[in-house]
Amino acid sequence: MKTVYGYADVISGFFEFPTENARRILPPHLQPAELHHGTSIFSMTCFDFDRSSVGPYGEVVMSVVVAPIVKPGERLPKFALYPYMVGTTTRAAREHAIERWHLPHWMEDVGIEWVRDERTLGAKVTLDGTPLAELTIGEHSWQPVEQLYQSFMKDESGAYQANIVMEGEQSEHEEETGRLVLHDHPFNRVLQIGDVAEAPFREIWMRRGIQTFDPLLTLQTA
Amino acid sequence: MDPVQGKDPGKSTFAEYDYSNFYYGAGDDPLNLLGPFSDWWREARPNGYYLYSEALQSAPATRVQVRNGKTGRVQELINLASYNYLGISYRPEVKQAAIDATNLYGLGASGSPILSGTLEVHRQLAREMAEFKDKEAAILFPTGYSANVGFIAALMRSGDYIILDQYSHASIVDGAILAKSNTLWFRHNNPLDLERKLNKAKGKKLVVVEGVYSMDGDVCVLPEIVEVAKRHGARILIDEAHSTFLFGPNGRGVAEHFGLDNEVDFHLGTFSKSLGGQGGFVCGSRDLIDYVNAFGRSRFFSCNLAPPVAAGLLAGLRIAAAEPELRTKLWSNVAYLRRRFAEEGVDIGKSTSQVMPVMVNNDARVFAVAEKIQDRGLFLQPVTYPAVPKHKSRLRVSVSAAHTEEDLETAVHVVAGVLREEGIIR
Repeated sequence: MKTVYGYADVISGFFEFPTENARRILPPHLQPAELHHGTSIFSMTCFDFDRSSVGPYGEVVMSVVVAPIVKPGERLPKFALYPYMVGTTTRAAREHAIERWHLPHWMEDVGIEWVRDERTLGAKVTLDGTPLAELTIGEHSWQPVEQLYQSFMKDESGAYQANIVMEGEQSEHEEETGRLVLHDHPFNRVLQIGDVAEAPFREIWMRRGIQTFDPLLTLQTA
Repeated sequence: MDPVQGKDPGKSTFAEYDYSNFYYGAGDDPLNLLGPFSDWWREARPNGYYLYSEALQSAPATRVQVRNGKTGRVQELINLASYNYLGISYRPEVKQAAIDATNLYGLGASGSPILSGTLEVHRQLAREMAEFKDKEAAILFPTGYSANVGFIAALMRSGDYIILDQYSHASIVDGAILAKSNTLWFRHNNPLDLERKLNKAKGKKLVVVEGVYSMDGDVCVLPEIVEVAKRHGARILIDEAHSTFLFGPNGRGVAEHFGLDNEVDFHLGTFSKSLGGQGGFVCGSRDLIDYVNAFGRSRFFSCNLAPPVAAGLLAGLRIAAAEPELRTKLWSNVAYLRRRFAEEGVDIGKSTSQVMPVMVNNDARVFAVAEKIQDRGLFLQPVTYPAVPKHKSRLRVSVSAAHTEEDLETAVHVVAGVLREEGIIR
């Protein structure tokens, strides 16, 4: 059975960072997708969910872009992610995502403040008022899309794959208009912050759409 | 099988994917990506990708006979796509030199340059290339690609640092990969970011830049790059693929243009651009060339340049050296086209060279624009993601000294007319 989430806005920034940092984050069965030799891709995504089985909530997902699994006869994904840290604004959302998707979470509620400007959308992520990360994404032309992504998870119970379809209006570009600020906090402890690019090489903004998860696939049990 | 199986049957999907989507694919078989790629390619090719690799039926001169990749019909087109910046490759004396060399040596060198494949014509070409660049010595490579790959890997090792402009040519990138060095990337033509990256580098450091960047036609900000690199004790390699024979008082390249010939450590280039031939070279001290001769594996383990090609290049080099008016004519053509494009409102980005990107900035429509332009008589290819950033799609114009003002005026009319019809410009 599919699980559907409705969103008002989703912003994603894709940033260069060293492959050696990516490999320290990834489990051995996943390979980083390199932008250049030695340069992998860190991604920060902020969701403003307005419809879900656990009500409206905000979510921040810190990920490494990895090689997708491609099988003959199956739909080709646009790309694949390994989310290594997720923060949610509600406990219900957190418990739901851990139980259903095995996503690794920061176990306290985070705050997400959306900052809307004429042609940008920003998200300031905090923990009890302490800043964790700030992401700003610039607007480009809007197109309706329906795209498949893969998400890989690993916890003490095993390794998993979720196929996720994102539908909605999308603005995608490489104008380097966005910005990332990562703060020195345990939330970001796996990153060498100084080695993560501050300007995204790609920015994606989606709005007024739905995110649909296929049933979780188990790749490996503990 | 449709690569986006599960979507509406009959719905076009080729624009949703590009080459970058078919590079990475985990799974249990390296052939798993072939099926999705073939499905996509079957749709992408008739929708515009056929414009790549259309077969020329004539010399890459200013007018070419091209077999249309979709209709199969042969069209005569004004050529704005080939390098041949000085219009040399099809000159009678170049063709005669190649014919004479074929008669003397036959088809190939029949050996590696370090064993049996060095012929007298290779020695002469290297000698005269070194003289042209005012260096002690030069070494030849089978292609420009192999020059970068072979030279970088000959010099740099695991643990060293190679710092590259983010728009570096694939051959530079692959050279860095083969060298197994730490690779850092600085923002395009940005000395401040180069400084940030050099601050992270230790030990042996090599900064690599290009004289003219091949997709944007902008010139390296070499004085600032040299200043930063020197301050950090880094060596500098300049790839003058698109600038040798064109820039500088003697045509030696961008380093000469800025008066920095002796500040740059390594001078590399190709014979395929301005001379319209094939092959690469590195110029420098005798000691450097002797070392590269010993450790440049892409050359060491390749057959040497075919003698007709080497002889043709030698004739072309002599023409380029003896006829500076060719450079004058090229720059006059470049100035003319720049002015006319500006008058028509055609955006050519930051180009200040003979390479001019006609910016379309619309990945979904660049192929339709390119098709229309070809139908109206111009040979000009689209360039789109991932060769350039998303939504920075363009048509890449190569200006030649051999173009007439009439050729260029026709090009302006066609390009501006199509861009206007398509709503790209007003």
